[in-house]
Order: sequence, then C-alpha cells, then structure tokens
Amino acid sequence: MKVLILGYRGNPYCGGQGIYIYNLSKELVRLGVEVDVMVGPPYPDPLEDWATVYKIENLNLWSINTREIPTEKLHRIFSPWNFLDYLMTRFYIFYEMATFSFKAFFALKIILKTKRYDIIHDIQTLGWGTIPMMAYGIPIVTTVHHPLTKDREADLMKDFGLWEKTTTILFYPLVMQSFVIKRVDRIITSFKEGVDELVRAFRVSKDKVSVVYNGMDVELFRNTGEKREENALLFVGNTEDSKKGLIYLLEALKLLPEDITLAIVDDGPPIKHTAADLIKKMNLGHRVTFTGKLSYEELVSIYSRKTLLVMSSLFEGFGLPAVEAMSCKTAVVTTTSGALKEVVTPDCGILVSPKDPVALSDAVMKLLGDKKLRLEMGELGRKRAVENFSWPVAAKNTLAVYRQVIEDYGKGK
Amino acid sequence: MARKKIWVFLAVIASATLFVFFIYALFFLGLNDFPWFLGVRLDQLSQLTYYSAALPILLVALTATGTAFWIGWTILTIKVAHPMPEITEKNDYARLKALFLCLAMFIVSGALVYGVYIRSFWAIALPALAISAVVFGAVFWVGVTIITTKVGLPTNKKQEESA
Repeated sequence: MKVLILGYRGNPYCGGQGIYIYNLSKELVRLGVEVDVMVGPPYPDPLEDWATVYKIENLNLWSINTREIPTEKLHRIFSPWNFLDYLMTRFYIFYEMATFSFKAFFALKIILKTKRYDIIHDIQTLGWGTIPMMAYGIPIVTTVHHPLTKDREADLMKDFGLWEKTTTILFYPLVMQSFVIKRVDRIITSFKEGVDELVRAFRVSKDKVSVVYNGMDVELFRNTGEKREENALLFVGNTEDSKKGLIYLLEALKLLPEDITLAIVDDGPPIKHTAADLIKKMNLGHRVTFTGKLSYEELVSIYSRKTLLVMSSLFEGFGLPAVEAMSCKTAVVTTTSGALKEVVTPDCGILVSPKDPVALSDAVMKLLGDKKLRLEMGELGRKRAVENFSWPVAAKNTLAVYRQVIEDYGKGK
Repeated sequence: MARKKIWVFLAVIASATLFVFFIYALFFLGLNDFPWFLGVRLDQLSQLTYYSAALPILLVALTATGTAFWIGWTILTIKVAHPMPEITEKNDYARLKALFLCLAMFIVSGALVYGVYIRSFWAIALPALAISAVVFGAVFWVGVTIITTKVGLPTNKKQEESA
C-alpha cells in the first residue's frame, strides 16, 4: 500500500502534528506500507530515513509584523499563495492551512505523473485545496484530534472586549474546515467522545468517524528507577492554554498542606507570564517552580521522580502527559474532560470533575497518603499504556482504517 | 467518469465561460456606446456591461461585510463555558458592540445592494477603493520594507571608531 501523509507543520520535536507524522509514518513503514510525506516547515528531516519527504514552502507569517519578517522571506511574499497568506494574516486570519492545501494540490499534480497513491492521509489541515484534490481519484482520510471549536471556546473564555473576540473568531478557519470535513472519505479521531465532539462542531455523519487512539513511545517513556520525591506534584502542558485549567490546579494547591509542591513543565518568566502572574496573585510562589522546556530524557526523569501527575484540563483531545506518566509508572489525578476519562481508567489514577478544585485536592491527598495504592496504579498504568497507546498499536489500527476506506472507495460508497 | 471529476469539469467550463462573458460584456458589448476611457457614463452603459463590473466588486464587498456580520453574530450567539473569573469581574460590552456591528453591516450591505441596483457610482467606487487600498497597500508596504531593510551583518560601531 502507498500512502501520502499531508501535514502543514512537520516538526517532529514539538507540536502534536509533527510528532504524529514522525511516529505514524515510521510504524506504518514497519508494517510494510510505503509512505510519502508532504509537509510544511519546520521540516521533519529525520523522516527521510524511511519516507520520501516533499517540502511545501510556508513563510509562517502569522503574528509577525511586516518590518520583522526576515529579508529572504520578504522577497518570497510576492508569489501568489504567499501574498494571499500575507494579506490574510494582516487581517488576523490564519490562512496557512488553506494555502498549504492549495500548494499541496498543485505539487501532487506533478508527483502523480510518476507515482500513484492508494490513500491520502491529511493531518488536520482540511484546507480548501483538499476539495479539488478529491478529483485525483484517491480516497482521503483526515485525522482530527479535536475540533478547533474547542480551542476557540477556550480563547473566547479569556478574551475581553469586541476586538479580542473578533480576532479570535477570525483566527480559526472553522467555516473552511466545516465545509471540507464533510466531504472527506473518513475522519480519524483519538477518543470515543471525540466522535460526538466532531458531530457537534461540524455536523459530520457519525458513520464517517473512526476512533484510533494516539500513540506514544513506550520504550522511551520508561520508569528510570530514580528515587521518588514525596509530596511533589507535576503539571505538564502549555500554561498559556486556558484549556489546561491551570487556575483550578493552583486553587487546589492552595487547599493542600504547605509542604506539597508543584513543578510545572513549561516556560515561566521572562518567556511566559500568564501562569506566573496567577501564582503571584495566589501567593504560591514559594511552592511552584517552572522547569522550562525539557528534553525527552529530562521529561522521562521528572515523570519517574515526582509523586503524582495532575491534569486539571477543561478539555483534552488525547491527554498525552497522562499516558506518558502512566508509561513511567506514575499515578495520575486527572479531570474527566475530553479523552482523559477514556485514557485514564480508575485503576491507573483518580478522575475528578473539571473545574472542581476541592475534588482535585481531595484526590491528591488520597494518593499522597497511600503509597501502596500509588505503586499499584503505577504498575497498571504502565500495562495500560503499553497495551493501548503505543505507536505500533496506533499504526496497526490506522492501517485497518485505510484498508476499510480503500475498500469502500472501490465499491463507490 | 467519477462524480467528483464531473464537478471539476463543470467548474472549469463555468469559469472559462464566465471569463469570456465578462470580457465580452465589459469591452465588446458597449463598444459603440463609449470611446475608450472618455465620456463613459454609468447610466448610458448597457445593463450587462454595468453589472459585469459591479457584481464582482459587490461580491467581494458583501463577503467582507458578511464576514463582519458573522463575527458579530457569533459573539452574540455562541455558548461558551463561563468566562475566566478575571473577565467576569470586568464589564465587557462586547455583546452590545457586536449587536451594533451586526446592525451596521446589515445596513451597509443593504445600501451596497441598493446602490448597485440603482447604478450609483459610489456603490462600486467605494468597495473598489477599499479593495485597491488593501492590495496596493500590502504591495507598497512589503516593498518599502524590502527597500529599507538593511542587508548584512550590523557593523560593530566600537570597532569602526577605534579604526
């Protein structure tokens, strides 16, 4: 089978898309699938060991003032798609997905003169260019971990005034995605409740959605055997993302005894200020630390050392930190939001309602006071991560979806 | 032929036909009515010639006003989770402003459609000015930035002074 994977951002070291493309393509190749990848920058160079990579230009002009755009990019603005992208970004419209899809459509026209694909797998681009691409006679599946409506809602929650709300609404290309997603052959999402989310957000037919759990590197994320710290909580995630619900975790921390500390794996000041301001306001500065961005090795080490991982999210399309912690035999306390209630079962952690600091602090206290329970949960968490959330499992399930789609497409369904 | 390909063929034929039609309606249909660039009066143009110029401009203008209306409507009607505490503490008049935005865009859109219907010069001139301003403004601004951007490494002033 020959597969073309499309993704408008390809960096394999940060950002969900890049990691997804990197690992999925690698595992698909191991299963005997021939994989080509067409991506926008930052480009995933290491992929070239197992896949042919077609690089699509993108100037990443979003939120950059014209005077701050590097000279080499300025000279490239006057090509038609780049100029359109530039114009749209000046009006706060994130048009990268649309221009990527058109560029991919034209690039594919040239590639198809010498190659043929059995299926195209789009990774949450859903740009206007996907529509003419359908006429190439190749079935198209798309992966949508969560609809962008969730991100927009989270942004609107913290926006103040007409201008901030307007720029948020302009930013998310929901009209385009809503139009395109209804026309692709299959949608893959990473959790069961995600099906309903997609139906709600885009009014897609339930029959068109398949659930394939995301993968993670269970070999890399192993307990290091380092000594566990006591009363040390861990939070992993983007503190600027209001979907992470950090404010509720901080409120829970205020309810907990003074000797309980929290390490946040993300940048603090001077790079990011939102969380630091909250911490200062809540007088928790002496109990909270920022680690900054960590390498994979450092991340595995901190998962293995801290007592508990806490996720206070209001929505999660998968909940990667929870699975990574489980894989490192660390017990977790999470909310029941989004995919978390499917990813974390009660034997691997404690689940509480979102936006409930009291329940969060009670769950933390229960686990901190019961080492035996934590150890049991850690062991079961590792087992669950290996059996359900490894990349080989994700690739195998994705391949099954490809086969079904190709079969249906052949029958003209 | 696959159904998806039929749509593509239809799109190709429609766009080519429309383009030829526009060229004909704009430049050939009224050829005897007006000398090039001289004495062209909107009220003297044939209906087809006038609408060939006015409708594409109106379409772009309505897309812009429609988008603004949609933004206002979304702010008015969207049901999101309760805002963050620091937002609820402040008085946010975004919904009221969004209501005015919707009303304003509704009136502007109506005025544009009516203006084109009665062949008002301003109904096509103002949107055309706005479109031109955006496109030429962007080209101008990028061009100025390229021209005024210093290329090469900044020179070390101290070194220069000591030399």
